[in-house]
Amino acid sequence: MTNLYASFQMRALGQFFAAKNGAELEAAYTDFTNWVRQPAPVVDDWQAVEFSFNRLFVGPKAPIAPPFASVYLEPEPQLMGASTIRVREIYQLAGLQSPLKNKVPEDHISYELDCLRQFSVALNQIPSNEMSGMRDYLLSSMQRWLPLFIQRIRSAENVHAAILFVVDCLDTWLAREVENGRF
Amino acid sequence: MNKQPNQRATNPVEQALACPLSRRNFLRSLLATGVLAALPGGMLAAQKLLTLEGFGPTVFQGKDAYQTFRNACPRNCYDTCSIVSYVKDGVLQYIEGAPESTFTDGGLCVKGYAYPQRVYSPDRIKYPMRQVGRGSGNWERISWAEALNTIADKILGIKELDGSLLGLALTKYSGNFGITHYGVEGMMSSLGYTTRFVGTPCWPAGIDAQNYDMGNMWCNDPEDMVHSKYIIIWGANPAYCSVHTMKYITEAQRRGAKVVVIDPVFTQTAAKSDEYWQVKTSGDGALAMGIARYLLDNDLVDRDWVNANSVGFADYEAYLKENVTLEWAAKESGIPVDVFTAVAREFAAVDPATIWIGYGMQRHVNGGVNVRAIDALVAMTGNVGKVGGGARYGHLHTWGFNYHAMVQSPPEGSVGFIGETGPMGEFASDAARAEADYSDRAVNINKIGQVILDTDDPPIRMLWVANKNVISQDFDRNKITRAFEKLEMVVVVDQFFNQTAELADIVLPTTTLFEDWTVNVSYWHYWLGINEQAIEPLFEAKSDIEIASALSSVLNRKQPGSCTFPENIDPKEWMAKEFNEGIYELFGINSWEELRDGPRKAKSGLTPWSDGVFGTPSGKYEFKSELAAEHGHSDTPQFLAGREAYAPYWLLTPHDKYSIHSQFQNIDWMLEVNPEPYVYINPQLAREKGIADDDTVRVFNQVGEMQIKAKLTGNVPVDTLLMYATWFGKKNDYNVNALVDDTSSDMGKYKTGAPGVAIHDQFADIEKV
Repeated sequence: MTNLYASFQMRALGQFFAAKNGAELEAAYTDFTNWVRQPAPVVDDWQAVEFSFNRLFVGPKAPIAPPFASVYLEPEPQLMGASTIRVREIYQLAGLQSPLKNKVPEDHISYELDCLRQFSVALNQIPSNEMSGMRDYLLSSMQRWLPLFIQRIRSAENVHAAILFVVDCLDTWLAREVENGRF
Repeated sequence: MNKQPNQRATNPVEQALACPLSRRNFLRSLLATGVLAALPGGMLAAQKLLTLEGFGPTVFQGKDAYQTFRNACPRNCYDTCSIVSYVKDGVLQYIEGAPESTFTDGGLCVKGYAYPQRVYSPDRIKYPMRQVGRGSGNWERISWAEALNTIADKILGIKELDGSLLGLALTKYSGNFGITHYGVEGMMSSLGYTTRFVGTPCWPAGIDAQNYDMGNMWCNDPEDMVHSKYIIIWGANPAYCSVHTMKYITEAQRRGAKVVVIDPVFTQTAAKSDEYWQVKTSGDGALAMGIARYLLDNDLVDRDWVNANSVGFADYEAYLKENVTLEWAAKESGIPVDVFTAVAREFAAVDPATIWIGYGMQRHVNGGVNVRAIDALVAMTGNVGKVGGGARYGHLHTWGFNYHAMVQSPPEGSVGFIGETGPMGEFASDAARAEADYSDRAVNINKIGQVILDTDDPPIRMLWVANKNVISQDFDRNKITRAFEKLEMVVVVDQFFNQTAELADIVLPTTTLFEDWTVNVSYWHYWLGINEQAIEPLFEAKSDIEIASALSSVLNRKQPGSCTFPENIDPKEWMAKEFNEGIYELFGINSWEELRDGPRKAKSGLTPWSDGVFGTPSGKYEFKSELAAEHGHSDTPQFLAGREAYAPYWLLTPHDKYSIHSQFQNIDWMLEVNPEPYVYINPQLAREKGIADDDTVRVFNQVGEMQIKAKLTGNVPVDTLLMYATWFGKKNDYNVNALVDDTSSDMGKYKTGAPGVAIHDQFADIEKV
């Protein structure tokens, strides 16, 4: 039950960071807040969330906190770095691939969360040392870059409270995974 | 095995990734579990597990492990490098200069080597986006369909309101010189008659000057400079701006040639010269005329060449004798008589000798006539039409493509402008359409702010910006910003969120050279190269012609027949359609496919005017040009005073090493070595003003002002402030055009449709903050 709960939470979290507009942000946020225990900020202007979200993660101005692992893991911030290809290989080992291969880097936070979720659900059905190892490998990578990502968001000015709430939850989730010794 | 297993990799996944053998075992065990399936709602799709053979480590495996592609740097740069790109699993890994081009010679410049960083910069514009409140910084991501619907509705609305599309304007220049990018002009033509910003901010005065003198702008092959015995580099800085040409200059030096650099700034090129003259800014014409007078007085003119190949020399001779003295030339130029007469003797004594006329020295109110005076030096010493000689400025000899993407017809019934000219440009012109009942409305690209403010009946309502960063690169930033307020819609197509994109209503992401097909040539060297698509476009980027095609589909769905641009295009086919028999013959190929084996060099035209047949009305070199006189200029080169100073110091805004206009400096590698802009001033001026290194200063004039750190250097004259024209990216609002007005240079309208800009006839004051 715990795994299922986490799975839904991760799915909503992934969908939030993959949202293309205010409506998708609202849908993902609503879904996400159903699966967290803390009281979430009430949003009455989703366009304001969208503006804040785009400044942080999308653009068109250089995003403050690009949601791609390689930006934080590579010696120089870039997309499609060697670390991205490592993530691609993880997906490939698991028989997964991005439908937007070579267009959107595989280490986008939403893809990584989705992959973890798929691992978790699969492992809940049939234990597999190999898949556990893959899950832990991906988590260890996320443990390295997500704190940097989160730090950039928290340091930015005028970040919408809804985004900060989601980011706090992301931080909490990451801490729990570390505590659980998954990697 | 290509790689040793990582000894430290104890994790089974690390082992699997590090070692193909482990990987095989790993995959087998994973297959045995058979548990993984994509969940509903997942973003990653299930795929067949990898075949074991197709799975390689991400370490360097030798060049054979990569797919290679032919690319060509499309920037507005002399060098237009031929590139080989290396791609693995759809990702550009690294690039290098093509070894087949003797000009590129296997090496790229610092900017070129940064291309993978540029392609994969997290700062790229990724999606079509709409700004809610221009300049607000509040952006919504929208789909291509929504973006094009909004744009199409505006275009159709303008046509409905005004009865024409003259309210739609295009400003486009040199952000990408790939030939298919003229499809942007094609897109405009396919919509109807529009307003076009014509001309060039770059080099028009010199183009006209060379056309008056020789009937064309047509330079020698730069590779033949190794044969030059004397090289004067006049107002150019190839050590920054054409690094590949430097090897020919240094080789000529090694063979005994003397290199003289004439520039107000002691450039890196000057540092490598044998002799450097710090000419007074815009005093070049007087200097050239002083040298000419000395050649005359000392019987150093090549009379045989002049008599056989030119007209009007007697008139120029008479002008010089009546109006020019050595002492006057020395006073006007700042170069002592004994200094320039010594070089004049040396220049006339050797064969061949050449002068490289830079674009910087013609960006003046007297720039065109100054180029004519320098051309005259080369001609009167008999150095035109010779290998290793020539008055080198640029050429368009290899640009004879079909311009298939550009040549589009307006929809039936389109209404346009009735005026003297249609659009034209130095590289390609669709002005022939002006022979129709209507034409496009041509306006001066270099006065965009004033034009938008002044143009009415109908006003410019919508501006399409492509391959150009108007706010950074056009003149009088403050005026342009004001003018943008008059526009009802601004669409910016770009790769990065530059200062123009800040003021857009809609931005559209466009492809880099590695994500598109096109073909490129240079305005300096004589090589031709194709540019293959090496990788998928990142995110939702589209090429210019793909955007045109998609827009056409939307428009024709809304109003059938409203756009003639083909709705289904194949960028590779469109690249192929640019070739013709003339290009094939010039480059000695039978098909563009041969360019997949490497770039090719032109087989002819490398030593222009060697047959003594010039493109002028007389067929000769024209020291006296009736055409110039018809166009309101002096018939022979005659001294034209520089611009009167409007502030105490010259303000020079040349090109930096780490950027080409507003491209590249925003990339991390450039920011690491050149993290912030400075105003460079002479230590003597700094002392007078109480300014120390790194002090923040205010640079100001009647155009605007800027606060910036100062850097002290003896490389700039005491009376000069130097700021490199560039764009530093996300954390910096540096913009030299807040201090540069849109005053025209003397020439440019004849061949490019509008006069150039006196970019280097600017003045400013400075004070410590």
